[in-house]
Amino acid sequence: MANAPRVDAGPAKAGTGNVIRDSALGLVPEVVDAVVALNAAVWDGGPLPPAEVELARLQNAQFTGCVMCRAVRYDVAVADGLTEDKVAVIQGDADEQTLSERERLIIAFTRQFHLDPAGIARDLQQALRHSFTAAELLHLSMAVAYFCGASRCAVALGGMPESMPRTEIAIPR
Amino acid sequence: MNWITDEDTDRDTLLGRLPGVGAPYRALFDTLWQQTHIPPAVLELCRLRMAQLHRSSTDQQQAAWPVDQRQRQALRQWPDARVFTEAERACLAFTEIYAIDALSITDEQAQAVVRHYGDAGLVALIQALGVFDGMQRLGLIWHTSLPEASHG
Repeated sequence: MANAPRVDAGPAKAGTGNVIRDSALGLVPEVVDAVVALNAAVWDGGPLPPAEVELARLQNAQFTGCVMCRAVRYDVAVADGLTEDKVAVIQGDADEQTLSERERLIIAFTRQFHLDPAGIARDLQQALRHSFTAAELLHLSMAVAYFCGASRCAVALGGMPESMPRTEIAIPR
Repeated sequence: MNWITDEDTDRDTLLGRLPGVGAPYRALFDTLWQQTHIPPAVLELCRLRMAQLHRSSTDQQQAAWPVDQRQRQALRQWPDARVFTEAERACLAFTEIYAIDALSITDEQAQAVVRHYGDAGLVALIQALGVFDGMQRLGLIWHTSLPEASHG
């Protein structure tokens, strides 16, 4: 893992207070507005509650190896009921049976998305359709797809710390 | 046939079924072709190479931007093919390692892209790869994209 940043984000640091705009992503101003809009939309634009979206985001971060993504907790998800007990399941420190059926399915879907998207089993499809509406499944899918890219982006840009304490943040807008 | 709505639809149609998220997602994809730091034709080569690695037949058949047909046909053998420039090779090498394991990207692979397209070019490429990867996985998991039987 690269500990040194691979680009000089200096020219991008506009001091907007928005962690996306002020990061290296700000070097491509033609695209950054669309990134900020999508980042907000995955929390606001679908029917899943924030705690479930956050569960998917954190499971995604386990696969991409993004230290920062694993350390962050979005305040809206914490307010919505996401607990560290649930996060411990994702991190492999607690039994998955402590989660609800919906939460277990969110984790299963996110794993499938990373490991073998084309190979999603009919049993998992049926279980997801039994517990979620079509709109919820579309929301979950698109959120995981976005998180997958955002998290890999953070890794690929370098500058990843070896470790980072739990950090609660607001959605950058 | 996608398993979420049980319809014979494509990925864009399903994105449109949840416009609150699908529309900004599609807008981000469209914006990638308007940035000025990496030529769109190079991005398209990278999108196509990623589709080969994901074995998404549908994404390989699509054309987001025109590319030289000789390059398109030689893409699986790009390390040995003579139709790619050094800049294109740097981006294709970066695409491959990104698709396999982003944690394994080396500073040398990143610098090879920076040498040709600058810091902003590397950022633009990384952003684009994240969107291509996410979109292609969406098509595969929804079953709106046909998987390829073989090749890699």
